[in-house]
Formats: sequence, structure tokens, C-alpha cells
Amino acid sequence: MAEQLDLSVDLGRGLRLRSPVMVASGTFGYGFDAPLVDRTALGAIVTKGTTPRAREGNAPTRIAETPSGMLNAIGLQNPGVDHVARVYAPMWAAWDVPVIVNVAGDAVDDYVAVARRLDGVAGVAGLELNISCPNIANGLQFGLDPRPAAHLTTAVRAVTRLPLLVKLTPNVTDIVAVGRAVEEAGADAVSAINTYVGMAIDVRHRRPVLSRGSGGLSGPAIKPLALHAVWQLSGALSIPVVGIGGIMTAADALEFLLAGATAVQLGTVNYVRPQAVREIHDGIAAHLEEHDLRDLGALPIRPARVEAHV
Amino acid sequence: MSLALKPAVVVERSTPMTGAIELVVHHPPSAVAVNPGQFFQLAVAAPQTILRRPYSAAWTDPDSGRIGFIFNVVGAGSGWLAVRHEGHELDLLGPLGRGFDLDGTEPAIIVAGGLGVAVFPGVVRTLVGRGRQVTVLLGARTSAQLLPVDRFPGAEVRKATDDGSAGHRGSVVDLFGSTRGGAVEVFACGPTPMLQALIETARRLDVPLESIQVSLETPMGCGVGTCLGCAVPRPGAGYLLTCLDGPCVHADRIEWNRMTDAFHG
Repeated sequence: MAEQLDLSVDLGRGLRLRSPVMVASGTFGYGFDAPLVDRTALGAIVTKGTTPRAREGNAPTRIAETPSGMLNAIGLQNPGVDHVARVYAPMWAAWDVPVIVNVAGDAVDDYVAVARRLDGVAGVAGLELNISCPNIANGLQFGLDPRPAAHLTTAVRAVTRLPLLVKLTPNVTDIVAVGRAVEEAGADAVSAINTYVGMAIDVRHRRPVLSRGSGGLSGPAIKPLALHAVWQLSGALSIPVVGIGGIMTAADALEFLLAGATAVQLGTVNYVRPQAVREIHDGIAAHLEEHDLRDLGALPIRPARVEAHV
Repeated sequence: MSLALKPAVVVERSTPMTGAIELVVHHPPSAVAVNPGQFFQLAVAAPQTILRRPYSAAWTDPDSGRIGFIFNVVGAGSGWLAVRHEGHELDLLGPLGRGFDLDGTEPAIIVAGGLGVAVFPGVVRTLVGRGRQVTVLLGARTSAQLLPVDRFPGAEVRKATDDGSAGHRGSVVDLFGSTRGGAVEVFACGPTPMLQALIETARRLDVPLESIQVSLETPMGCGVGTCLGCAVPRPGAGYLLTCLDGPCVHADRIEWNRMTDAFHG
């Protein structure tokens, strides 16, 4: 290969990543605990969902493995935005990988408070609005309908200059409608998708496995569903779509990139193969070389703005 | 903590007692790094499984580079592990978490219920090696399910079985209640209801909970502190993480009434 491969991607508003491989919120903490991840292969870290004040999270049991997937109901356990801004961000500022803070809350004011606190804080490269957490009371309220989703996005957009991703829930009838609404409200990109609401029952004890009853399903079990959501969104939106959902291998990531995703986030796989970021990055590079492509822009397999069939 | 860049190799598989498998793997860098009570996340390739499975090292031998794991089959992951044989490769992540604090000087009482015994061969060897007086209380449903006494050289072993086929008829917690005298340090592992019964007994006998260390078993995701899935309630409010704060913790750090007996396999 004579010419250097370019795996960089642009998520808008100056948020340029050297790799399309990101790590998804909740699967990587605040970047300090995950072992052995080769940061040179990593496009960006998305942090654990962060709220205005510290949260203890849900009572156990919080996780359960299900066929080809896992359920979680962690409940946004996090140290609160002030701790993130004072303690974590200064450390991130010295890193060579951008850190995007995932923002969560119970009300519009919560999201606005977190965004305001992080605006202009060195080390914070962007925000991802979690309008799709299934594991707290009202966590889904903003993501289920285009109007509240747009309202929240507008409110946050007004108080931050940071690149703004909005993470969509698949627990809706029409994810494209929500995507369009947040695009119009000022989102720079959408992340799709968050987990599907599901449950498991402990037959021996005759009760739900998770303390909350339900939780969010992730892993390969949801990959085809996630891929279809990304296909629909990338056909309908003008802003970048970040694909998330059960990516375990480079081939999985390539499916999302071919479907029109600008970048991907790895979630559940981080728990299983800490070296997955590097493997998937290298697998994408190998695919480009094999097909004589110099960058990722040529990957999507259909022109933009073609409507997908449901 | 390290990820085995070269996989571990199974060098021995046996059945140490009825219903249990012991796998011995060869992986020198991991074998020298283990503190008794620490665990590894073992990758399994059973169909439809995703997560690694956390297993405490039963024992390690730094000289030969070997680590032993003792377990029973409770689901697809352990079922897959149970059919590994000599020459098969295993992907280990670890050692992880905190092992037991073995620096005390009091006589040690080990309380092992069922497969909870799996963490103790290495613990007992270390304690005996340090000149501690060690009493091992083994509990199981029936005598065939007890780990053989010769796995605890240098320790006094007493048995409890539900059916009375060996030792005391009844639970290992009863045995604990009738055993102690004077200041002791207790190391316990077993099903959550057994640990809760042990804590009740300890309170009744005025054994301070700070003198009891337990090896916790909870559902676990990542094993390294990122997923926050293995929460254990603390007294008052908030949670410990089994993977980072444990699996071995002093019993006074746990809110025992809110511990969940969760299914996991």
C-alpha cells in the first residue's frame, strides 16, 4: 500500500477522531479502569452516564447474561458532574484520545446543568445526551417522542459550544422521526442505538433476575436490529450516525460502516475482549486495503438520503 | 493484573469430589502473581454465551507455573469449561480483585459451604506455611461432595453433611457455632444464605464481624470495575464492587440483610 490509510472520521463541530472505533457509555467507566486497551487504535471514549449529583445506582442484581446478550440495570451509578469536571477532566486533558461525556438526568434542567458545568472544561471533547436510559425512573421520557427529544436538545444546545451527540433509544415505533427532530434541534450527530428493554426471570426463585425487573439488552442479540436502525437513520439524516449494538468483530463494525455509520461504538465486547478496540481497528484497516480504499468515506453502500424500508 | 497474551494450557483435569471438576492450567506469569483469594475471568466459548466467568484460583504453584480451578456445572459456561481437557487452551484475565488478608496471627477457622471450598486449598497452604493454627470446617450435602481432607495438609479438618454421611449431621454453620473458643479469625465462602447464617451465628456468639473475611460470589460482567454490575450493598448506603473491593472482604463492610441470592451460571 503506497499511500497511508486514513481512518479518521469527522463527527461535526470540530470533533475529528483518528479512528472510527469508539467505546460506548457505561462499558468503559471514565477511562481509568479498563485494562490493556491500546489507545492508539481508539477514536474516542464515551464516559459513563453523568448526572448533576452523584448517584448510587440500583440495588443488585444489576446484570444478567441472556442468549447472545446481556441485560443491565446499573441505574446510572456515577460520581456527579462536579467530580468529573474537577478530578477526571484534568487527567483527560493530557490524553491523546478525546473523551466525550455521556449526560443523563431526570429532567431538562439536569441535562442543562451538566452541559453548562462542562462547557469550556479542558479535557471534555464533546457531550453525548443519553435520552434513552431504560434503567432509571423516567430515563426514557425524552427519547420516546420527537417533541421532548427536540426540546431537550435545543435546551442543551443553547448552553454549550461542545460537539453534541444525541443517543437514541430503539424502544420506539419510529426512530427516524426522533433522529430528524434532534438533528433539527441542533445535534451534531446521533448515536444509535442504546439498549432494548428486556427482562429475564429466575425460575428457581420465581422472580425477575434483575432487581428492577427489566433492564437494557445489549450484545450480539441486538445487532441486526441496531444495524437496521442505523441503516434507516443514515438514509434519512444529514448528520453523522454513530453505530452501536452488539459489535464483537471487525466484520460487525464494517456492517455498520457499510450501512452508513460514520463511526462505531464498542460496548459489551469491552467486557469480554479488552483487546477488541485494536482488533476491530486493524480489521477495518485491512478491509480498506483489501478493497483498495484510502479512507472510510467510500464505505457506505448506498447514496445518502435513500429511504430505507421498514 | 494482566491479560494472558499467550493462552493458558490445561495440563490436568480431574474430579476431586462428586459433582466437581478441577482444571489445572499452566501459565507461569499468572501463577506467580496470585494472592490467595484472587480470581480470574475465564473466557468461555459455549454457544450463545457472552461474558467471561469469574473463578477464584483454588491454588497456585509458582514453581511449576500451575493454577488450579475447582467448580461445578451450573450453566452453559461452566458446562463448557467442564469439558476442557489436557492440551486445550484457556484465555485468562487476571489475577483480579483483592485476595484474603492473611497477615493476622490468631488461629484461623475456615468455613466452606459446598463449592465455596474451591477458594481454600491455596489459602490454607499459605496460612499453615506462616505457622497459623488452621481448622477447616467443610460442609456439603453428602460425604462424596466433600473435598478430600488431604487437600489441607497441616490443618485440622472437621466435616458437616446434611445427610450425616460424614461428620456432624447438619450445616457447616452449626459446626462453626460449636467449634470456636477464644479469639479467632474466620475465612468463609459459600452460598449467600449460608454466609448470612454464619453472620447471624457470629453475632450471637459475639464474634466481631471485622474478624470474618468472606469471599463473595455475585453475578459479574467485566471483572475490572467498569460495568458496575457486581454491586454488593454496604451498611448504610451505597455499594461495594465484588470485582474491585472484593471478592474477599471483611464481613462488617457488607449489609447482609440486603444481600441477594442471585442466580448465575
